[in-house]
Amino acid sequence: MITSLQLHLSKVFLKIFLRDIQSMIFNIFFPLAFIAAFMFSGSGSESINIGVIDNASNISSKNFTDLIKDDPLFEVTQGTEINLKEQLLSGEQLAIIVVPKSFDYTEGTNELKLLLDASQVRQINQIRTAIENSLLSVERKLSNTEPMFSLKVEDFKARPQRYVDFLLPGLLAFMLMNLSLGGSGFNIVEYRRRGILKRLFVTPIEPKDFITSIVLARMMIVVIQLSAVLGFAILLLGVRIEGSLFSLYGMIMMSTFIFLCLGFCFGSLAKTQEAIRPLVTSFTFPQLILSGVFFPISSLPDMIQPIAQFLPLSVVVNGLRSIALDGISLFTLDSSMFGVIIWAILSFFLATKYFVWKEVAG
Amino acid sequence: MNIIEVKDLQKSYPRPENKKETFNAVDGISFNIQAKEIYGILGPNGAGKTTTLEMLEGLKDINSGTAMINGIDVKKHPYRVKKIIGVQLQANEYFDKLDLSELLILFGKLYSEEIDCMDLLKKVGLSDKLKAKPKQLSGGQKQRFSIACALVNNPKILFLDEPTTGLDPQAKRNLWKLVKELNHLGMTIVLTTHNMEEAEYLCDRIAIMDGGKIIAEDTPQELINKYAPEPSDLPLQGNIEDVFLTLTGHKLRD
Repeated sequence: MITSLQLHLSKVFLKIFLRDIQSMIFNIFFPLAFIAAFMFSGSGSESINIGVIDNASNISSKNFTDLIKDDPLFEVTQGTEINLKEQLLSGEQLAIIVVPKSFDYTEGTNELKLLLDASQVRQINQIRTAIENSLLSVERKLSNTEPMFSLKVEDFKARPQRYVDFLLPGLLAFMLMNLSLGGSGFNIVEYRRRGILKRLFVTPIEPKDFITSIVLARMMIVVIQLSAVLGFAILLLGVRIEGSLFSLYGMIMMSTFIFLCLGFCFGSLAKTQEAIRPLVTSFTFPQLILSGVFFPISSLPDMIQPIAQFLPLSVVVNGLRSIALDGISLFTLDSSMFGVIIWAILSFFLATKYFVWKEVAG
Repeated sequence: MNIIEVKDLQKSYPRPENKKETFNAVDGISFNIQAKEIYGILGPNGAGKTTTLEMLEGLKDINSGTAMINGIDVKKHPYRVKKIIGVQLQANEYFDKLDLSELLILFGKLYSEEIDCMDLLKKVGLSDKLKAKPKQLSGGQKQRFSIACALVNNPKILFLDEPTTGLDPQAKRNLWKLVKELNHLGMTIVLTTHNMEEAEYLCDRIAIMDGGKIIAEDTPQELINKYAPEPSDLPLQGNIEDVFLTLTGHKLRD
């Protein structure tokens, strides 16, 4: 159990960390700014800007153009060839449909031309398909035929999910990883370099008291900082947390514990302040990309996926996401919870094995 | 009565230039320190002074030999020893964000002692610095604060590692006065130094170390009588610095 000494030490560390106002602010500034950037991007899909050059100017072409304009997928601008081509080059228009002079849909197949700037458009195929689909429905309307099939998209989980909902748990996980690694590894190296650890260890303090109190204090700091970001996302962005806050915070604490332990390992591996930076960066940076913070792991190349799944940040992101998005409880033993538990045990084992006290004290 | 008994104490490290070989930083030294004595360990850089102290303080493992402090075996019960000693290290940095009173309370807690900050700071002449941060202290004030931290558990023995290195003459004299006062209150004091004047002024007995060995040990006066060369003219007698140079040679150390 936690002794009164450990409690007092935790309070002291908490005081030390809280008084470092600059780092407190910088630590939440980036995630807040990042989430704020998504405040204004709505959940609706954006329309595609296309231009229409009507060379025929007859009833047929007018009917056709009106129907294209009705399609919510497109934002249609009608204009002259010179004008629209300029807009295409500047990126205002994504594509231009050219209606030929001889256009008349009552007579056979009419060839429409699609102009685009291949250097600017990455998804030519998607645009082509979209326009073809649209043409097909225009054709049906013009020829008065009923479509044989209709497709209605329905979210099987039946809840609105925006990118920011997906992003928030990933961002929280990334934040807590950085805070924890910085709060244990970097601190240890800094305290050792300045001889503070040595000074502490000539007193009867035991390593476990020291570790416990840093872990407790850091957990508090992480909870405070993550709550600021979480509160911002819930109050201002209307992000919904499906699971209970108890589960979410339980998960956050467990994850913080994992990265604090790993941080202690790094702190004892790296002897200097210069060495710990690249060491920690080489650990965090690949995970930023591979652990599904910004996009799902399933979008990674097949070969990398099995490795990516097992990274500590991945299991934490998964765990937080299944609580936040799917409403899973902390006590549901699914694969992500299992991953978190495994990493918690593993990191604790590594920390106790590689944290050499006499060396750490210098 | 001996409060510290050291016998054949030895500590070896891998050589920096060739990790496979080792060298003895402390090479089988033995000495006894009596209660209420001020005992100085004098030596050039790299002589093994700090390593000796750190073994006695339980900071470094003892390779072989024994060290008994107040009848407790340091090797077997380092935590019991830590409770009765006070230590001032060469590096005296503390957590920046805490003020002196908070730091003293923290150190008190580490010994499970409730302390009177004001009383401690008065002892070392820093009573007006209760709410100051360590960064705001001068070199001499920092050293005196370090001693205040070392006194929180009211130790039987106080270890001072080069307490006056880098201090100006005023601060140095001031610290000497403090050390004498603490000694008069009954504290045994063990200090390392390479300041000859300091050793001569403060210490009841001095051990001169070089190359990990104690090459001479006695009262300052006896050492002068034994080793200082007879000066041909005034001053009539050499001083401890002469003793030191005679014994350790004039070669420059790192």
